[in-house]
Amino acid sequence: MDSENEYNSSQMSDDGFMEDSDVDMDDGECLLFAAVLSESDFEVEEEDDVGFETQDKDIKPTKHAYEVDFNVFSPADIHAQQDKQIAETSSILEQPPEATAILLRHSRWNKEKLVEAYLERREEVLEEAGLGEEVQKHPPKVMKVPGFVCDICCDDDEDMETFAMKCGHRFCVDCYKRYLRTKIKDEGEAARIRCPGDKCNRIVDSKSLDLLLPPDLRDRYNELINRTYVDDKENLKWCPAPNCVYAVDCKIKDRELMRIVPTVHCNCGHYFCFGCTLNDHQPAPCALVKKWMKKCEDDSETANWISANTKECPKCHSTIEKNGGCNHMTCRKCRNEFCWMCMGVWSEHGTAWYNCNRYEEKSGHDARDAQARSRQSLERYLHYYNRYANHEQSAKLDKDIYLKTEKKMTQLQNSTGMSWIEVQFLDAASQALQQCRQTLKWTYAFAYYLARNNLTEIFEDNQKDLEMAVENLSEMFEKPIDQLKGLKRDMLDKTAYCNKRRIILLDDTATNLKDGEFSCAFGMMGFNVTLP
Amino acid sequence: MSLCLNRLTEERKQWRRDHPFGFFAKPMRNSAGMLDLKKWECGVPGKAKTLWEGGLFKLEVTFPEEYPTKPPKCRFVPPLFHPNVYPSGTVCLSILNEEEGWRPAITIKEILLGIQSLLDEPNPESPAQADAFNLYKRDKTAYQKKIRQVVKENPAP
Repeated sequence: MDSENEYNSSQMSDDGFMEDSDVDMDDGECLLFAAVLSESDFEVEEEDDVGFETQDKDIKPTKHAYEVDFNVFSPADIHAQQDKQIAETSSILEQPPEATAILLRHSRWNKEKLVEAYLERREEVLEEAGLGEEVQKHPPKVMKVPGFVCDICCDDDEDMETFAMKCGHRFCVDCYKRYLRTKIKDEGEAARIRCPGDKCNRIVDSKSLDLLLPPDLRDRYNELINRTYVDDKENLKWCPAPNCVYAVDCKIKDRELMRIVPTVHCNCGHYFCFGCTLNDHQPAPCALVKKWMKKCEDDSETANWISANTKECPKCHSTIEKNGGCNHMTCRKCRNEFCWMCMGVWSEHGTAWYNCNRYEEKSGHDARDAQARSRQSLERYLHYYNRYANHEQSAKLDKDIYLKTEKKMTQLQNSTGMSWIEVQFLDAASQALQQCRQTLKWTYAFAYYLARNNLTEIFEDNQKDLEMAVENLSEMFEKPIDQLKGLKRDMLDKTAYCNKRRIILLDDTATNLKDGEFSCAFGMMGFNVTLP
Repeated sequence: MSLCLNRLTEERKQWRRDHPFGFFAKPMRNSAGMLDLKKWECGVPGKAKTLWEGGLFKLEVTFPEEYPTKPPKCRFVPPLFHPNVYPSGTVCLSILNEEEGWRPAITIKEILLGIQSLLDEPNPESPAQADAFNLYKRDKTAYQKKIRQVVKENPAP
């Protein structure tokens, strides 16, 4: 737990404010800060929703343009929220909590809509949700019925326990349980399990489930019920990190995603985009990220191959692969004869058959120019793609770097007698590198779609500064152990500089994006149009 | 005996006692000549007063070990020209889909009756083969002509 806290705070320290916060803040502030840091570590009150936001604003006097407000909820919080909503709605509808829960889940947790519909057409709403008449008066119970034959297993044992809901479809308890098990275990169904009877749409209510569910299924059932709550709510999303149990609440709407890149930070340490749940991709907006990834999937390898292995016919621009033979090419499409080496017209080669040693003759020069122009868009794409891929590759090596760092930290402690706290600068540097590379990677995808203007130039300057800072730090990081001690001051400075450059870039880009200042290459304004 | 076999034995008894007119359903014999309760040979007649009247269409119904928790697989042999029948002959029907309409209380009788209704009431929402679906969508007259031919090729005895 300790190390995790350390990790969180070192991640957060990039806005300069949080550094050493847990040490020298006074008690009052410390509590506020704790609430934001992690709810699991510090118990927080149930009605966090409202309290959280105001606290957030209070302790972050200067929020950066690229940051969004969000809260992280633990499974217990989600459960409590559901219970609270059920209790509230239950008193309005004058229905027992079990029935209210079914109604709420049926209306996908849209409380206002449910209440309105319920007041207008009560019977219909109950029927749709599979509740029919009140469950309240006759609670469900298991019983023995003489002469009963179960329609599922065809058993007619006298002592057999049977169960039916209000719909009257009666089956033996074993079959009912087996059915619920398949639904819950195999299909992951929870809120909308229907009666096992043919064509019956009645939903198995929570009272009946309480009666029938074997204990080993209860946990799974509760988990699934929780999931439907988060899945149904627009402002809630699960953290996509493996095995993470937290959900994140963020008020950013889908239509705002063109102008805002809502990166959120889960308590598990994972940074992800709330819009598309992909890994953090600031500063590029979701739609652009989607386009770019699709383009890379479709194009990158093909484009690389075309660029490396083919040339274009100087006359008709057909793409040609030379797979053998001499330099005398005849285009199969337009019958144009040219030299593969200089791309000039073949007839001008005179007697220099099969050996092009001419330089800067006009026809060859023009042909190469034309070729260059037509290849430009491909080259442009590859320029951005290669840089993007490079940073992605480096980001993939991050794990190695991180592991190496840990090793280096222990080595340094042993060889120089530095204490654990004194070698933390390496950890901070590694974190900064990872984060900055992630950002840099997406700046290249972003830049690919930008039109050439002053704003883009500023963006590229920022990009250049960050890249230089990152490479400098990265170089230092590779130094042998014995030199590292002397570099501590320098590395700390460089780390801080990297983080600062990253914030400047993100802040600047986010502000311009929000104001709709960027214009897109390919002659279109804004990013909500079809991009190539 | 397992739940699956117990239930199938019972269904066989029920079917022999009473079944809808024009249908047939019986367990097949395996290569060793033994009755295999998990594989049935069935026949569905076209409904009266529809295009499909006068035809009898043969199906193989295969029951999984998890039956009746999970639905059986129904396959027309040979494959049938119908918008909701896959090229392999497998029937696409909501009550045969575990995640949709399948309920453990559905028996072979309901399945076959469901398939009979599907014949004349194709579901354009879930096409399973291109040929029949396209013809059904674009040219109703040609589709009807084709169905008449299919019925002629599969006459009821």
